[in-house]
Amino acid sequence: MEIEQKLKHYRLSRSEYDQIVQQLGRPPEGVEWALYSALWSEHCSYKSSRIHLKKIFNKSSRVVAGFGENAGVIDLGLGERVAFKIESHNHPSFIEPYEGAATGVGGILRDIFTMGARPIALANYLCFGEVKAPRMTSLLDGVVRGIGGYGNCVGVPTITGQTEFHTSYNKNILVNALAVGYFAPEEPVLRARAEGVGNLVVYVGAKTGKDGVHGASMASESFDEKNEKKKPTIQKGDPFYEKLLIESCIEVMKKKLVVAIQDMGAAGLTSSSFEMAAQGKVGFCLNLDKIPLRDSSMTPEEILLSESQERMLMVVRPENLIKLKAVFAHWGLDAEAIGEVTAGPEVELFWHGENICKIDPRFLVDEAPRYDKPYTKWQDKNRVTSFKPYEYGIKAKSQKLLELLRDPKFVSRNWIYDQYDQRVGAKTVFDCTESVGAQRLPSGKILGLVLGGRPYVMRFDAYVGAIDCIAYPALELAAKGFLPLAATDCLNFGSPDNPEIMSEFVATIEGMSAQCEALHVPIISGNVSFYNETLGENITSTPATGLVGLKDHFEATPRSYFQNKNDEIYLLRLPLLKFQGMFAEVEKLSQEGSGYLDVKKVASFADLTRHLALVKGVSASRVVGKIGLAYALARMTTAELGVEIDKVINDGVFIENLYEVLFTVNSDSALQFRELFNKLSQNNEIDMKIIGHVREGIFKIKNEIDLPLSEIHSAYNTNWEVLFAGLS
Amino acid sequence: MNKTVGVIRFLGTNCDQDVFSAIKQAGLSPEWVCHQDQFDKSQYMALFLPGGFSHGDYLRCGALAARAPVMKSVVEASRHGTPILGICNGFQILCEANLLPGVLVRNNSLRFRDGWVGLQRVQQSPQFGSDKLIYAKLPIAHGEGRYYIEDDQVKKLFDDEQVWCVYERNPNGSVENIAGVMNENKNVAGLMPHPERAVADFMGGSDGLSFFTSLL
Repeated sequence: MEIEQKLKHYRLSRSEYDQIVQQLGRPPEGVEWALYSALWSEHCSYKSSRIHLKKIFNKSSRVVAGFGENAGVIDLGLGERVAFKIESHNHPSFIEPYEGAATGVGGILRDIFTMGARPIALANYLCFGEVKAPRMTSLLDGVVRGIGGYGNCVGVPTITGQTEFHTSYNKNILVNALAVGYFAPEEPVLRARAEGVGNLVVYVGAKTGKDGVHGASMASESFDEKNEKKKPTIQKGDPFYEKLLIESCIEVMKKKLVVAIQDMGAAGLTSSSFEMAAQGKVGFCLNLDKIPLRDSSMTPEEILLSESQERMLMVVRPENLIKLKAVFAHWGLDAEAIGEVTAGPEVELFWHGENICKIDPRFLVDEAPRYDKPYTKWQDKNRVTSFKPYEYGIKAKSQKLLELLRDPKFVSRNWIYDQYDQRVGAKTVFDCTESVGAQRLPSGKILGLVLGGRPYVMRFDAYVGAIDCIAYPALELAAKGFLPLAATDCLNFGSPDNPEIMSEFVATIEGMSAQCEALHVPIISGNVSFYNETLGENITSTPATGLVGLKDHFEATPRSYFQNKNDEIYLLRLPLLKFQGMFAEVEKLSQEGSGYLDVKKVASFADLTRHLALVKGVSASRVVGKIGLAYALARMTTAELGVEIDKVINDGVFIENLYEVLFTVNSDSALQFRELFNKLSQNNEIDMKIIGHVREGIFKIKNEIDLPLSEIHSAYNTNWEVLFAGLS
Repeated sequence: MNKTVGVIRFLGTNCDQDVFSAIKQAGLSPEWVCHQDQFDKSQYMALFLPGGFSHGDYLRCGALAARAPVMKSVVEASRHGTPILGICNGFQILCEANLLPGVLVRNNSLRFRDGWVGLQRVQQSPQFGSDKLIYAKLPIAHGEGRYYIEDDQVKKLFDDEQVWCVYERNPNGSVENIAGVMNENKNVAGLMPHPERAVADFMGGSDGLSFFTSLL
């Protein structure tokens, strides 16, 4: 093959080729091409993002493991720790939704138990195009079935989720999966750092097949008309195998039979072996012919790049091999020694005794290209000094609310969640029907989990959206009394070669980091997914985040729904930025907003919110979000309990104020609640008012909305089946 | 009194820890039994087959597990009169092993279904669930929970007092809303909902606890 053809096949640029020649002192040969292709792909090397990722706020005395490991680990006190991470599986899910989503769940679970933690919870952040876009209902169906098919079978509950719809995802859906794992006191945290010359490199799990070859580099470029042809790059998952792998790996780790461990994810054996060697500053000698194969015709290149699922690579002391094999045999799995750790520095690959490659792993990992792609400094967008809310009569507004409640963007997502096992593990305190997922840990403490990232705020102004993707979920945790502890992020963007996208990317990292620092919430893990672009059309820049929070016990945690008739309803406000966001989008009005977010003020507002949520007698709470107050109240209703709001809402009910929190309080506790507010609120920008009461059967907001509760309830809860009739 | 309760784990069982904890919480002594193990018919005061996806639900749910070596001992224990409860996938396994009548097939929605259900007791089990428990709120989580048995046998099942409990509102298309059944001797029972997921207030209810404490 001509050089140009080879570069195209291996998705390397001319300048990267020149860098390779310089490293090696000669042109690359044989399987070296495949190694460079995989490890220098955007997906594995983070070459366009790395210089910016360094700026992410990641400091806290609670951090046990951060970036660079398979997942971040945070200390909860009393010896308990959790590992967690969110990761994208966008490209595969668009090509083949069931397997794409399923293997997304499988991959993130492996990242967690590779650290030594037992997976205890899952969450999913999904973005779909318009319901009427081609393939969209079947994509949604496939993704939901895939997530359920995998998560339900391995026995890890899905406890929260977020689902968005927008035209920008018509040709690039987003499927981000988050997993949390638990370490009991004394349980070890494992690393991917290989060490100990003479130790064995052991291959564990499913046999290697031709599936997923070139998957990492596939996910590092945009889509075109030929997506169908990319099907062979999709992996197929086997959750049953994963379950056996979880149990057996946790057992060998607890028995201290493992020196280092890494799962074979993107770029399979290549990335796991070279990264382990590079991290440990050692060499490897690997016999590729010893790899258990599903297909005996596979070439060394295919073996190196296969992304077959449910496989792990371990470094093991020779004297422990027999004990290790016995554990895996108990679970019906094979463990095969395929090589050993050497003084290095090279990794040497053998094929039936012949040395087919000898290369320094640092060339491929540490010295991978770094790009500072062009971007511009962020400028505020869509700001006006003041703007008027759009005026309707009370009847029109009431009808508008019903119309919105039936819209796929706002309708209840319970149809999705009902297909996930939300309670296996018997730890679930709050399932997907609450605004925050929560689990009870063995110590009795409660772990809260919530997703963040609101694409319409990103479309309004990426810097505001970036702050919001931390601030909003942190407030959701605070509104249930959780102290936000740490975050993970999945940065879904279009092409980094587009300076506008790159500017949004940089602004996102800066905004997120600023809010994280103000809240003392480090970002401890994450991933970047670029090239969410088809034929020049980019997705909305979408940072998806996951935050965990902690509270001491379950008692008196506010729910997300009205609990008792006649409870008082309070609105707590820090009105820093006012905009019409999503309402402007659905009504096709111009995007306008006024004001700016201040991360420090937001952080102290979150702290105040948390203290108020801990008052006994606070029965329910919810952060006011998309399309404002009326929607937030509608989501708090039950079949019996509605509202009567008798205070006039100044800006109308379809404006969004960043930030507002709703509380319902039992009248016996109301005095204590108000006194605590008066005591803690030093900032006169924050106000809190009683705006009405929980009432049976009605949904009334003075001068705005007047509807029977049943209409609200049926619009919100039953229209999914109508919208997706073909599916149910 | 022998308080040792066997909890049988097949490859792919995933509610094992939850059932184990619930048994412990009830004041009994749970012990793991592996799918390859054999045991004496009088070794355990009771046996539990927890839910999950034994053998990945490949072939048919429960079909492969029903042929695991441990099932020989389970059959012997059932003949001996040992109380045996299969929950969810455990129920499917007991049906596949012919220890319980009928079969569990795909939900009529063709989708997995998670949620809370109301359960009404039709016949009291002599071992599982206190005599006071005539109604219970328990979670379900299954894709193949639709109880099926031929028309001519449904009446017999009711007549022989083998129908243990029924759903208040049918979540999956089960014949006659059936959620749990017993064998003719009433020592073997199967239940689709998960009592082990409702044993404390933080879980959303504690109606499930008596399915374990009643063994005492």
